[in-house]
Amino acid sequence: MTGPLGQIALLAAKDLRVEARSRQTLGLVTVTGILVIVVLGLGLGTQGQSPGVGATAILWVAYLFSGVLCFEKTMAMERHDGALAGLLAAPIDRGVIFASKLLTNLALMLVMSVVITLVAVVLFRFDLSAAPGGFAAVTLLSMIGFATVGTLFAAVTSSSRLQGGLLAVLVFPICLPLVITSTQLLTGMFRDGLALDSPGVGILASFDAVYLVVSWLAFERVLEP
Amino acid sequence: MTGLKETEPVTAAATRLEAPPAMDVARRVASVVAAAGVCLTLDDRHILQDIELEVPAGGTVALLGANGAGKSTLLKVLATLLRPSAGRLRLFGGDVGPHAAKLRSRIGLISHQPMLYRDLSVLENLVFFGRLYGVPGPRERAEALLEHVGMAHRADDAVKTLSRGLTQRAAIARALMHDPDLLLADEPFDGLDAGSAAALEALLTRLRAGGKTLILSNHDIRQALALTDRTVVLRRGRVVLDRPSRELTPDAVLKEIVGP
Repeated sequence: MTGPLGQIALLAAKDLRVEARSRQTLGLVTVTGILVIVVLGLGLGTQGQSPGVGATAILWVAYLFSGVLCFEKTMAMERHDGALAGLLAAPIDRGVIFASKLLTNLALMLVMSVVITLVAVVLFRFDLSAAPGGFAAVTLLSMIGFATVGTLFAAVTSSSRLQGGLLAVLVFPICLPLVITSTQLLTGMFRDGLALDSPGVGILASFDAVYLVVSWLAFERVLEP
Repeated sequence: MTGLKETEPVTAAATRLEAPPAMDVARRVASVVAAAGVCLTLDDRHILQDIELEVPAGGTVALLGANGAGKSTLLKVLATLLRPSAGRLRLFGGDVGPHAAKLRSRIGLISHQPMLYRDLSVLENLVFFGRLYGVPGPRERAEALLEHVGMAHRADDAVKTLSRGLTQRAAIARALMHDPDLLLADEPFDGLDAGSAAALEALLTRLRAGGKTLILSNHDIRQALALTDRTVVLRRGRVVLDRPSRELTPDAVLKEIVGP
């Protein structure tokens, strides 16, 4: 039997292979994200802005809505035809299932965020040239936390009849610290010319660490066959 | 495509499958399942009450009952997917609690749902589950099993392209990938046409003859009695009958299922 890391890699590779075949999740979440960007960008008139509060908020709205769709779809794949019961019946820890699903969600979310950001840059000339590395670091840290929370609660709501609506209701408030902190960090970097703020990065990293541990432990309880 | 028809019985030419080296049959112990006073309560509903069930190695048990009697739930408990609220469950001589993950490597689960990924091919599904269970040579094992269940000609087809009968055969191959000592089958005949049902019946008969421990939940009483050597009837989560199948008639079983 392979160890937990091998099992996580095996499950995540399976998820990505299924996604490559079905092309259901990535296409949907990316199109949703682009639509949000276009609608909000045109509505609020953010042409030529640096990623200050307005532009960053628009990106976050796109990430949030696309992310919830992504988490739902990747968990729905497991519910289809009882595949999840097949995984739960296998001799693996449920934390392994969580970690693999998180990796899958994170990979899809990162691809989605790159596409959405590029669309924002091209269509609305969001200027990231002042601190592209800082923007990438903040986005990555935020995505880890967001995907962690989303993966955990997608498992919770997938066994519930409410599903879609409930996931957004649960995830959005919990991710508020991520949205506020990353928006402040990016505003500081791009509008005020500040260096990447250490306390802010610490908050993002702490959020990620806390929810990673909590989710790993809680997954055993929340995942129902 | 070899021209095999979907309704064709499982090929008799399929030879006895060699168990992977790591899956030695010597692991078998006298009592595969030993449930004592097992209860399960969900949302204040008593789904299972005081279940007493002992199944020896190589035993075949029919689990019968009306809809909602607790058959599927009991099978989920035996598969360690659900934890009993009370009572003691031992599998292969060991308590389930701390060793659930390890014990699962010796259990195969078949349901009316295939538990397969519909966008992957049959072979990819089997190899994936084989690797998950640590089966040595998963590809070779998968190919042999697909031959065994008469599905070698559809190995590279996506599961979503298969009929219900073929999907169920693929699901059985998945459940047998790790050569489990205990096979739990939850209404595996559900939705199958006559040909596919006959093929599945033949396969289960051969597994029984091969000494697999089998617990089968089924709605067809006559078929269940023929396939097993013991019958357990559940009514409202309780065992109300536990007798050798050969001593029972379908009418007698039906009376117990319906109750007073």
